[in-house]
Amino acid sequence: MAHVASLLALLLLLVDGCALFAQSLPQRYRDAGEIRWGADAEGGAPFVFVDPNNPRGGEVGFEVDLATELGRVLGVRFRRAQVPYESLVQVLDRGDCDIVLNGFEATPARQALVRLSRPYYVFQQQLSVGAKSTDVRSLDDLVGKRVGVLGQSQSHQLLLERPGIEIVVYESNVTAYEDVVNGRNAASLADVPIARALRPMFPQLRDVGEPFGAYHYCLGIRRSEPELQRALDAAIGALLADGSLERIYRRWSLWTDAQRQLGDPAVANAYVDTAGSASPAGSGAFDWGMAMALLGEGALRTFGISVVSFALAVLLGMAVALWRLHGPRPLRWLAVVYVELLRGTPILVQMLLLYYGLGSIEWLQLGAVEAGVLGLALNYAAYEAEIYRGALLAIPRGQREAAMTLGFTTAQMLRHVVVPQALRLSLAPSTNDFIALFKDSSIVMVITVVELTKQYQMLANQSGRFIVLGLVTSGLYLAMSLPLAFLARRWERAMERDHA
Amino acid sequence: MISLRAVTKRFGERTLFGGFDLDLAPGKTTVLMGRSGSGKSTLLRLLNQLERHDAGTLRCGELEIPAGLPHGEWQRRTLQLRRRTAMVFQSYQLFPHLSVLDNVTLAPRVVRGAERSAIEAKARELLAQVGMAAAAERFPARLSGGEAQRVAIARALATDPEVLLLDEPTSALDPNSTADVVAVIADLKRRGMTLAMVTHDPDLGRSLADQLVELPRLRG
Ligand SMILES: Nc1ncnc2c1ncn2[C@@H]1O[C@H](COP(=O)(O)OP(=O)(O)O)[C@@H](O)[C@H]1O
Ligand SMILES: [Mg+2]
Repeated sequence: MAHVASLLALLLLLVDGCALFAQSLPQRYRDAGEIRWGADAEGGAPFVFVDPNNPRGGEVGFEVDLATELGRVLGVRFRRAQVPYESLVQVLDRGDCDIVLNGFEATPARQALVRLSRPYYVFQQQLSVGAKSTDVRSLDDLVGKRVGVLGQSQSHQLLLERPGIEIVVYESNVTAYEDVVNGRNAASLADVPIARALRPMFPQLRDVGEPFGAYHYCLGIRRSEPELQRALDAAIGALLADGSLERIYRRWSLWTDAQRQLGDPAVANAYVDTAGSASPAGSGAFDWGMAMALLGEGALRTFGISVVSFALAVLLGMAVALWRLHGPRPLRWLAVVYVELLRGTPILVQMLLLYYGLGSIEWLQLGAVEAGVLGLALNYAAYEAEIYRGALLAIPRGQREAAMTLGFTTAQMLRHVVVPQALRLSLAPSTNDFIALFKDSSIVMVITVVELTKQYQMLANQSGRFIVLGLVTSGLYLAMSLPLAFLARRWERAMERDHA
Repeated sequence: MISLRAVTKRFGERTLFGGFDLDLAPGKTTVLMGRSGSGKSTLLRLLNQLERHDAGTLRCGELEIPAGLPHGEWQRRTLQLRRRTAMVFQSYQLFPHLSVLDNVTLAPRVVRGAERSAIEAKARELLAQVGMAAAAERFPARLSGGEAQRVAIARALATDPEVLLLDEPTSALDPNSTADVVAVIADLKRRGMTLAMVTHDPDLGRSLADQLVELPRLRG
């Protein structure tokens, strides 16, 4: 029986006209025998994800099925490449994947950067709020409120078109919903398929208003590959015509009447010309003034976060170093554990724990910036503590004895004699840490803080101007760190003089 | 004034003093001499409890510190002892982050809570007494050895000690500087200060001593 089935499948494969489409596929893909499709499986339901109830089943999703069907029609294997959602366009441009297939919405920014295939799915938007929310019924009620969205998505685009909303950008819809549940944000806007797929994870959320709009998922193709686009357009057309698309969508409960528009020539040809007409980088449509203002804002935020968190790290670090050397035994152990724990675990994990982990406990909830500052401070304090410990130990015993013979208590001796000297010894190494902190501070972007690096990433993603914006961004970082490096070197020299 | 009674000090297996007695007579100068390693510094450091004794008793007026006190009580009494004594080290041990003047005023300010303005005049007087008035604003790194040691003496005096302990105060100095420092110490003696000084210079020792203690002879 199994033999008959596979024989049948083989026959179908041969007669399905796939040879015809395979002909139209550019030679290099026929030679390679595969097309690599870029997608992000993180928070990827229902597109591509690992079913938590069946993790051994591997990656599933309606786009996995779609890829399989496209591969069947085109006569090549479709292999998925993991690409962070917000970087899909750059990774495609770099050539690390051949197409984008990932609920890739036809936003204006993307239309200017890549080719878009004919739409293969029509979707709407859904607004969701926390269980206790009463005052939000539609987008109009969001002015002045914090609203979470997936970065670079259609939802993000929609919110950008409405002034007055405080947009909080996430790398995943899961974390965006998370922050509605724990009350940090008032609402989250998402594509209906995502909202439906993630609802079981977030029973506390409530959808408000009817789904609205009609937007399109398309394949993303490099601008330089019109033949590949034609082949893919034809393949989608074939899957639409033979009912394969409908079958897939029904299997995933994604079928809606709106999908009937897919055959409509106006929809099918909606993006045919966009890649040709939208001129590449440099058209003047890009608002440089706005971009510089945003980068400046990001730089200020980076500066503020770095300065405050380092000040805290210095204070806490000194306390930990003193506990370790002079505290009562339990405090000494605590200091050792603290240092080893914070140096021995990734700062990324510490950040996520601090923001999302504690975020689920109401009275421990921190804002993103506060959590970011605290996370950096706690982490850097461990390193500062080690610098200060070394410096404290480097103060000669005779100095302590001199203070003791003058009648100082231990605390007075530390406060007036040992710590001031240790601080001067640590000035240079500590400043070097401060410089490192400026760069490391970009880690706070994982908890939605838009600082300089994140701002650069967003602007570059929208415009494709990676080089110029990257140079400006680097310049801003250097403007912050070079004066410090200069000071550190001066202090180092002064120290050598004093101790010569 | 300060006395040791039947004091024993051990370093591990080694007993340095076994049942040692010493009295520092008020207004007199006691000089400790002996070969290197004979325990001169240790003896001096017992007098302000930088080293703790293993048996016997230390007295300073009514203050009594027997061996084996619980740590808290020992700390409390030692603090009192140290506020009545002061020490000058062979290697000066000025505080490098403070100016000469601040080196002298720090202890009165911290320990007695004296106002800076109140203590400053006295500090300048002390600096004048040791011939360092002109250096008040300088930092220790810019002083010669002899200058640093004279500032160290002024710093010690600023706490109004009843006894000044000096551990080889001139050993690191060239002859000219030594003469300057010796002059300052001789002046203190003349003013009636109680001194205990370690030196390996026999001429200096004999010239200043009211009481001379030769350590090898006294080993227990
Ligand atoms: N903290 C210590 N631990 C062990 N031995 C010590 C310690 N301090 C001094 N000693 C020993 O005690 C002896 C006397 O030292 P010290 O009082 O410095 O001698 P002096 O000042 O006469 O040269 C020396 O043999 C020295 O090695
Ligand atoms: Mg000695």
